Amino acid sequence: MDLEEEAFKIISKHKDGIFQNTIWKELDIDSRKCSRIIKKLQDKDLIIREVAVSNGARTYLLRAKEEAKEKYDLLLSGEMFSACTSCTGDCQPEYCGRLSEWISNLPIEEEGAGEAEETEDVGEPQEVEDVGEPQEVEDVGEPQEVEDVGEPQEAEDVEESQEAEDVEEPQEAEDVEEPQEA
Amino acid sequence: MLVDFNDRVIRGYLMSLIGEEGLKMIENMPEGEVTDEEIAETSGVLLNTVRRTLFILYENKFAIVARERDSNSGWLTYLWHLDFSDIEHQLMREKKKLMRSLKTRLDFEEGNVFYVCPQGCVRLLFDEAIETEFLCPMCGEDLVFYDNSVFVETLQKRLDALISS
Repeated sequence: MDLEEEAFKIISKHKDGIFQNTIWKELDIDSRKCSRIIKKLQDKDLIIREVAVSNGARTYLLRAKEEAKEKYDLLLSGEMFSACTSCTGDCQPEYCGRLSEWISNLPIEEEGAGEAEETEDVGEPQEVEDVGEPQEVEDVGEPQEVEDVGEPQEAEDVEESQEAEDVEEPQEAEDVEEPQEA
Repeated sequence: MLVDFNDRVIRGYLMSLIGEEGLKMIENMPEGEVTDEEIAETSGVLLNTVRRTLFILYENKFAIVARERDSNSGWLTYLWHLDFSDIEHQLMREKKKLMRSLKTRLDFEEGNVFYVCPQGCVRLLFDEAIETEFLCPMCGEDLVFYDNSVFVETLQKRLDALISS
């Protein structure tokens, strides 16, 4: 670890800040060298330096910048990092299941009652949660699939054949379509 | 630059990129420029996983590779080392990407009316619901109006926070 990293580590450890004249003693370097290191950290926008007085001697109070990290906290939803990271699928944010999940996770940390409110609106909690889950959205929520099976005639066929639970399987969906083609 | 792998943002990011085994590899990475085989041996991660992880890290500019040719055999040796000094820039890219997707999604949620199947089969747009005569195309149940106001509100709030940060 070089001195610059060590100095930054010391500054980060002291949440209320640390005097510059303490750091160079701690690092066992002279004050000139310390000033140069501090200057580098400042140029990298990692620390804040304010004029201060310590034991009657004029020095600087150094504090590590926390905002830089904090702003990326917003990429987290609960424990889930941005839904778009390392995603290799066709980008369709409108129907993306991962994105739905990411957004659905948000109320838990921001307002605990968010989910309850949502369920109240529609009535039955399981139903709303089910719709919001990525697997189901991916399975049946794609526009093509909806178009394929979404015609009124097909819906009637499904009802008549009473295959409600099994229709999700592609083979049966094809079976339903075949008679129409014939 | 110091990178704290225990920071939840950085850990979350690397976890999405390279997974648990990848993180294990990074944490046990030998010093200096090393071959993939040496990394596998030191970190205890499978060679295949090491190669895949290095490839992903290389794509995201976290891994640097140097090629060396053996003068006798003519074989090439690839020597790797990791450098996470650019992580801030990569996080910024991820942020922009996410913001773009959230904006698209927000417009879609705000500009449409949705109907859902009470059994949780499917969520349809109003026009699609008309086509199916407000019956679920999967199970035949009557579709019900889906109030997405809470979803939209949450989404809007986070997007605003991302824009202003």
